[in-house]
Amino acid sequence: MTNKIAICLAVLTIAVSFLGIQLHETRICVAQSQLDSDEPTGKIQDSSEQEFPVPLKPLSKTISPCRACHGPEKDFPVNFKRREDLLVHTNIKLNHGGVRLWCLDCHSPDNRNLLLPLSDGKAIDFEHSYLLCGKCHGTKYRDWKYGIHGKRTGFWNGAKNYYLCVTCHDPHSPRFKPLAPMPPPDKPWTPKESAQRK
Amino acid sequence: MRQFLVGAAQRIIKGSPLYYVWVVFLLAMITVGIVAYVRQLQSGLIVTGMTSYVSWGFYIGNFTFLVGVAAAAVLLIIPAYLYDFGPIKEIVIIGEALAVSALLMCLMFVTADLGRPDRVWHLIPGLGILNLPSSLLGWDIVVLNGYLFLNIFIPGYIIYKAYDNKPANMNFILPFILLSIPWAVSIHTTTAFIYNGLAARPFWNASILAPRFLASAFCSGPALIILLFQLVRRYTGFHVKDEALFKIAEMIAIAMAINLFLLGAEFFKELYSDTHHLSPMEYLYVGLQGKGRLVPWIWTAFAFNVTAFIIFLLPFTRKRFITLNIGCVLIITGIWIEKGMGLIIPGFIPAPLGEVWEYSPSSIEILVAMGIWSIGALVLTLLLKIIIPIELGEFTRSSNVAREVASAGL
Amino acid sequence: MSEEKTKEPGQTSELKVSLDPASSQEAAEGKELINRRGFMQGTAGVLAAMALGSCSWQEFFQNNFRRMTKGEIEQTVERLRSEYKQKYGKDFVVDAEGPIDGTFFGYALDIQRCIGCRKCVYACVEENNQSRDPQIQYIRVLRFKDGDMDLEHSTIYYDPEEVPEKGYYYLPVQCQQCENPPCTKVCPVQATWTEPDGIVVVDYNWCIGCRYCMAACPYMGRWFNFADPVIPADKVNVNTHYLGNRPRMRNVVEKCTFCIQRVRKGRYPACVEVCPVGARKFGNLLDPNSEISRIIQTKRVFRLKSELNTQPKFYYFFSI
Repeated sequence: MTNKIAICLAVLTIAVSFLGIQLHETRICVAQSQLDSDEPTGKIQDSSEQEFPVPLKPLSKTISPCRACHGPEKDFPVNFKRREDLLVHTNIKLNHGGVRLWCLDCHSPDNRNLLLPLSDGKAIDFEHSYLLCGKCHGTKYRDWKYGIHGKRTGFWNGAKNYYLCVTCHDPHSPRFKPLAPMPPPDKPWTPKESAQRK
Repeated sequence: MRQFLVGAAQRIIKGSPLYYVWVVFLLAMITVGIVAYVRQLQSGLIVTGMTSYVSWGFYIGNFTFLVGVAAAAVLLIIPAYLYDFGPIKEIVIIGEALAVSALLMCLMFVTADLGRPDRVWHLIPGLGILNLPSSLLGWDIVVLNGYLFLNIFIPGYIIYKAYDNKPANMNFILPFILLSIPWAVSIHTTTAFIYNGLAARPFWNASILAPRFLASAFCSGPALIILLFQLVRRYTGFHVKDEALFKIAEMIAIAMAINLFLLGAEFFKELYSDTHHLSPMEYLYVGLQGKGRLVPWIWTAFAFNVTAFIIFLLPFTRKRFITLNIGCVLIITGIWIEKGMGLIIPGFIPAPLGEVWEYSPSSIEILVAMGIWSIGALVLTLLLKIIIPIELGEFTRSSNVAREVASAGL
Repeated sequence: MSEEKTKEPGQTSELKVSLDPASSQEAAEGKELINRRGFMQGTAGVLAAMALGSCSWQEFFQNNFRRMTKGEIEQTVERLRSEYKQKYGKDFVVDAEGPIDGTFFGYALDIQRCIGCRKCVYACVEENNQSRDPQIQYIRVLRFKDGDMDLEHSTIYYDPEEVPEKGYYYLPVQCQQCENPPCTKVCPVQATWTEPDGIVVVDYNWCIGCRYCMAACPYMGRWFNFADPVIPADKVNVNTHYLGNRPRMRNVVEKCTFCIQRVRKGRYPACVEVCPVGARKFGNLLDPNSEISRIIQTKRVFRLKSELNTQPKFYYFFSI
């Protein structure tokens, strides 16, 4: 019981003090990064496994929201138990890989500002989230590198803007969301119609 | 030469009241056609019924039919000049006059269909670019103009000689006559190839198209000639033997038999193999996706053609003028539907991406077409007005001179 | 080809001319042509004045783009710019830029990704100055039922609340940029041709409007301006190419050019950039590392109506 009250209090405090950050977090989670700018971001280095001309800052580095709550020194100890109630993360509807995946399958339990590491043991930052995605989605990752999967803009013979996996796919619920289509074409005119139009 | 022209002009101006009524009627129709065409020039082809789905229509349909009429002049040339079949030889010049007016109508129909008639100079080799050898439309322009030249030159030469009361020099003119025979075949074949070569349009992309074109051309053209000769016989002193008309009717029967046989062959191939190539034919004969504006037309044409075939086949009906004339009207109408709208429109339906979008000509198109037909009729009338007196020996250099002297004396 | 073409793509002069400068001969021919044309001007001029009161002399006698000298192209471009300025009140760029050396364009469309949202259709209309009324849209998005690819059963008029719809898939069709194009073959005046970089283009000022190419195209990739095209002045795209998206006139044919005004500057076509699902891919077929080459190498691709041997450079592929 005390435990629950403590949690509620903590939630309130955090919600008020980090409102701004919460907003940012929403952006992080939905991963609507700013891709509207046409600025080229760099060259493809095809041989390298690491370097991609990704949009420079999908997340602002100055904001490290996760650690504000999650961390060894904070009130929330790492809880490896899978559970439905995600507390403050009400905007997250987890629907990725059915029931197999859960928060800590991607997010680093030790440092929530980072994602789980590759085999080199170095945690992945959010800017390189595609490396983590590639762990499971190997063929998609390969296709994405070559521009077959996903979207790139810019120059076909030069600098390209890569759209990250998370630009199009919400990592918590990756299925592409339906859109309202643009209007269908006019039926071909007849002389009568065109006369009316004039 | 000047004398000839002045004489010809005088003959054109003078005529019976019926002649004046006819010419005034044609001139009125032509005026209406020109007004309609000017509207089309001002607004663009949007005033027609054509769309991006059916991008050719009434104009090209009429063009195709008239190429057939023009090509049919060769039917008269072959027996007349080569086999010296007397009765036809007398009248072949008139058949060629019909070909000239048909060709002029063809060229006018193509021009009416062009979006940018102001740019026709792009077709003139050297000045513009005529895309030979790859464009069939380019070839068609060449062969149509060549055929027009031959059909003006050959009868022109013979007529002018007759005007001079001199016999035509056969050694000079025979090569041109011989040339005109394959040329006549070529105009219709080339026109068929315009459609035939398009793999995008399965309805046209059948090798039977060119032979069918020729067969149907040899029905409609001669039928028109039979009617024309009877008119000429009635309203002028020009004599045409019945024998010649019956001979032409016999040829029509043969051509129609071939035409119907080829149609049957086409039907079999499409129906038995039952692929998507059947769709345009389905549209034409029974309708597709609930749309079938051409269905009543094509069955009318079919009924007309079969009836006419029977009429022309049986000597009993072929050699009686009432039934013969009914047969001619039926066959002309039937072929006009079949080789006009019935050939062009289903080529576009269904569209290459499957859509069924129908076409019917707009009033502007119909008026322009009537105008062009009237110009053709007027040209033919005026040509006959000059040719027939020469053939009859009424209008010759000597008579012309005598008359001029006489009128000067007065 | 020409020394001008060695310039970096992307930084282009407004008036780069693609005519092969092995063309002193061509220039001479041009001169001869002008003489010949001068000779004809008297008669033809009268006809011209009769035919079209509004059409200027220069426009009437304008040569085929491929026969123009560099100077003639410059003059023409200037004339067009002033015409457009007058009509739309804006300063236009009218490129006459030639192909980039070593390029041969190809396109691929992932039919497993396409959701049929038609964003490409409208991006194309805006980029390429297509007439809004009567409507011209280079891209048709066909909708098929799952399990069927019969064109006669498809529709382009679907209009649900949301796409993709369950049980359907989508197949956008535009000019397939054939290697063996039936359309250029039939043109009686060579008003349309394939450029060295593989783009099939139309010289709108040379087209006589016979619409033979439209009858010949198995993909309905060609459109005819049945009336004066209407483009709102505030929507007009002023960055144009002579062979591409410059405003057209009535009664001429037009078509997709892979956004020639963009791709010759290294940019992706507008439809590629707008596609929300990244289903549209574009690149240089001669570069083995381009996305288009990789797709052809590694994916199952097909071309529409390949039995017609039109050899499109527009591939459809399955991404999985």
